Amino acid sequence: MRTGIRTLLLAGAGAAAILSGSAAAQDQPLVIARNLEINSLDPHRAFCDTCQIYLSSTYQGLVKLAADDRSVEPLLATEWTSNEDQTQFTFKLDPEAVFSDGSPVEAKDVKWTFERLKNLQADPSFMMNGVASIETPDEKTVIVNMESPNSEFIGILAAPYVGIINSDVASENGATAGEDASSADQAETWFLANSAGSGPYVLDTYRPDDELRFRVNENYWGDAPPIGEIVIDHVADAVSQAQMLQSGGADIAMQVDPDTASTINSPDITIETVPSYNFIYVMFSPGAEGGDMLDLEVRQALAYAIDYQGAIDFTVGGEGELQASPIPNGFPGTEGLPMPEENLDKALEILASKGLEDGFTLDITVASLNVYGVDLTLLMQKIQQDLARINVKINIQPVASAVWREQIANPGIPFSARFYAPDYYGSAQYVQFFGMLPDTYWERNASGQGKVDLVNKSEVDLFQQALAASGDEMNRLYSEIALEMIKDRIIVPVVSPNLILAYRSEIEGVRYSACCNLPLAEIGRK
Amino acid sequence: MTTYIVRRLIAMPLLLLGVITVAFLLTYFTAADPLTSIIGERQMNNPAVVEAARERWGLDRSLPERYLIYLGNLVTGDMGTSFRTRQPVAQDLMVRLPATLELVIAAMFLGTIFGVVLGVLAARFRDGPIDNIARLFALVGASAPVFWSGLLVLFIFSVQLGWLPGPGRIDTRAVAPPFVTGFYTVDALLAGDWAGFRSVLMHLVLPASVLGWTVTGIVSRMVRASMLDVLSQEYILAARAKGAGPLRVLIHHALRNAMLPTLTILGFSFAYLITGAILTETIFSWPGIGSYAVAAARGLDHPAIVGVTIVGGAAFLISNLLTDIAYALVDPRVKLSQQESS
Repeated sequence: MRTGIRTLLLAGAGAAAILSGSAAAQDQPLVIARNLEINSLDPHRAFCDTCQIYLSSTYQGLVKLAADDRSVEPLLATEWTSNEDQTQFTFKLDPEAVFSDGSPVEAKDVKWTFERLKNLQADPSFMMNGVASIETPDEKTVIVNMESPNSEFIGILAAPYVGIINSDVASENGATAGEDASSADQAETWFLANSAGSGPYVLDTYRPDDELRFRVNENYWGDAPPIGEIVIDHVADAVSQAQMLQSGGADIAMQVDPDTASTINSPDITIETVPSYNFIYVMFSPGAEGGDMLDLEVRQALAYAIDYQGAIDFTVGGEGELQASPIPNGFPGTEGLPMPEENLDKALEILASKGLEDGFTLDITVASLNVYGVDLTLLMQKIQQDLARINVKINIQPVASAVWREQIANPGIPFSARFYAPDYYGSAQYVQFFGMLPDTYWERNASGQGKVDLVNKSEVDLFQQALAASGDEMNRLYSEIALEMIKDRIIVPVVSPNLILAYRSEIEGVRYSACCNLPLAEIGRK
Repeated sequence: MTTYIVRRLIAMPLLLLGVITVAFLLTYFTAADPLTSIIGERQMNNPAVVEAARERWGLDRSLPERYLIYLGNLVTGDMGTSFRTRQPVAQDLMVRLPATLELVIAAMFLGTIFGVVLGVLAARFRDGPIDNIARLFALVGASAPVFWSGLLVLFIFSVQLGWLPGPGRIDTRAVAPPFVTGFYTVDALLAGDWAGFRSVLMHLVLPASVLGWTVTGIVSRMVRASMLDVLSQEYILAARAKGAGPLRVLIHHALRNAMLPTLTILGFSFAYLITGAILTETIFSWPGIGSYAVAAARGLDHPAIVGVTIVGGAAFLISNLLTDIAYALVDPRVKLSQQESS
């Protein structure tokens, strides 16, 4: 009898709990709907868009990118200096800075972090390229010596991947910064469940393809962030993201495409369209199998035949910008560059002068990807129509992205489309990736791994000068490099898609950041 | 029957070994190097990074070496580490399999109940309005693509009417119940989390209905056809002649026999849904096996692909066995021991 009464009481309490609903709205976590696509949460192995959000919220670098997306501000370092030839950088650490376990951020942590990042030989390790040695004369001073000038080093340090790790905690959990770190380090699994930084949030839980949950860092040494708990909920589909936003299941939707955004007509939802630094480009590989005819003049003709504005209208409903060079609009050296031009007459004239008035056929593959709202296959279909006007026929074969990456290296793909997003604020990354310098990613691929000579010696010289320069001189040099890259006609940017920030109207502080995507600590409720 | 079951159970590991071997070979001979999904584009030209990744993930070893190491580890329950999630595959599957099973069981439950009821009604009122409506419902359920029906029900019931929650297994603002079984319904109850239990149930309704709709379509058509066949049998006439009521004849005499072919379909459907709930899982952001398999295939995540193949193979083997057993239990004419000897 007593058991029966207890069961009834429990059932009643349960029913009451069910009916009472959830906690008050103001105490509820902030929910962000986006495709997680996380490759790691180890700061030195992670390399993805969501990783940037995660790392910039849980770790802090010596400096940070300011809200203007151009200048650099102090963070863990209160001040820094560099020598004249940009080969030595000295940092003074903030004496107030502490990690999430309350221990102070010290010079040894900075040295350990930079050395681990370099020695791990993982995706973001290139950020420590050229670092010769690191000195720690006292607990709050760090001196970084470079092998050669690098005027972008301070900008690189604002990248989320260079956040300073609590070396004691990480070392206790299998991390190592030694030269054998690439094989000896065993901390990645630990980093998937724990964070060890000094940022405003700490990792609460991570379930791949499900959710990434942050809670506020109780020992945060700066101003406490407005929201105590944030969840990034894995929602791969743009329509589902929009539906969650409309139904109140999410506060922010990060990857709503223009078409979907146009269907949202709720006064409770704010939709902002902002320019991004991401871009989609097409590339020519004269060294690839089947790309023999793609000499500079033919590449120029094909570039003239592309209807750039039409491509923007077709792929993102006009929500995008033209981009002059492989260095995105707004980065150092891009001011006043000539935008790509559609000129069918010139294209036909060039082909006729080459005896190609009847055109030719290119068999190409393209990755089946929808990235930043642009479907690469659709883009290539639009360009297929454009090139048909000059009698150039392209046969498109969509493949998985991994297969595309295998093919682009060997045997090469004569003509295709791809995307890029910045790893930090600075133009050097674009020269090192897209420039026709020896052994850059695109020099190797476009030349068929060296079958044809595409190296642009002017770019090599200008880049060395740019790395040793600063201020206006550096901007001028990058501008010259950008012009050279345009002349190469290997990489032709087609669209820089705008970013759509969709959020519920009671949310404030939502903005796009060039380094960090979405700075979580700035978001609050009105 | 016991001997038969024991024999089948003994054969299972051998069959699974075959499945593992084929899956292992297929992943090895795919067109692309898995390194392309492990290393970013920028570092693919860096020999030090490429070498470090090859060594770390065992890709520098020969195929026989990798195969033997994999089998050796598998015996201890180690299915390798996912290239994509960077977590042990066994751990990934441990979390995702219950998620898929919870969805599939709910879908099978709803689909079977509705399918049987519709099938019986359609047969009983053959060629009448009820039959036509049931057949139309079944046709749409069996043929409507999930990416369409899923988004449609989400738009109607979640966005427009606000009756049911959107994607996910539990309210996005709620914390998942502590892991015990991986079934959120069970774990929420075990934790005494009534609000969580309610949220989990509400989140199950739409994806289970959409997935179950396909089962309803198949089951109702199968039951209808079987019922029409059975209802014309002489023993049904005899039952009626003995004075059995219409409902008793329909349910007790006709349905029980008509269910035999349906059981086979249900067994296959269950195994199929476990590996085939991909679109439903994607639309409803359900972190199950299906979405894991797709992501693994797209990302050339070899350990995960082989892991999912093992789970899928085991699901088919077990469901086949259970179907055979259920067949024998439902139909006394079926003797598993006879099958065995024949």
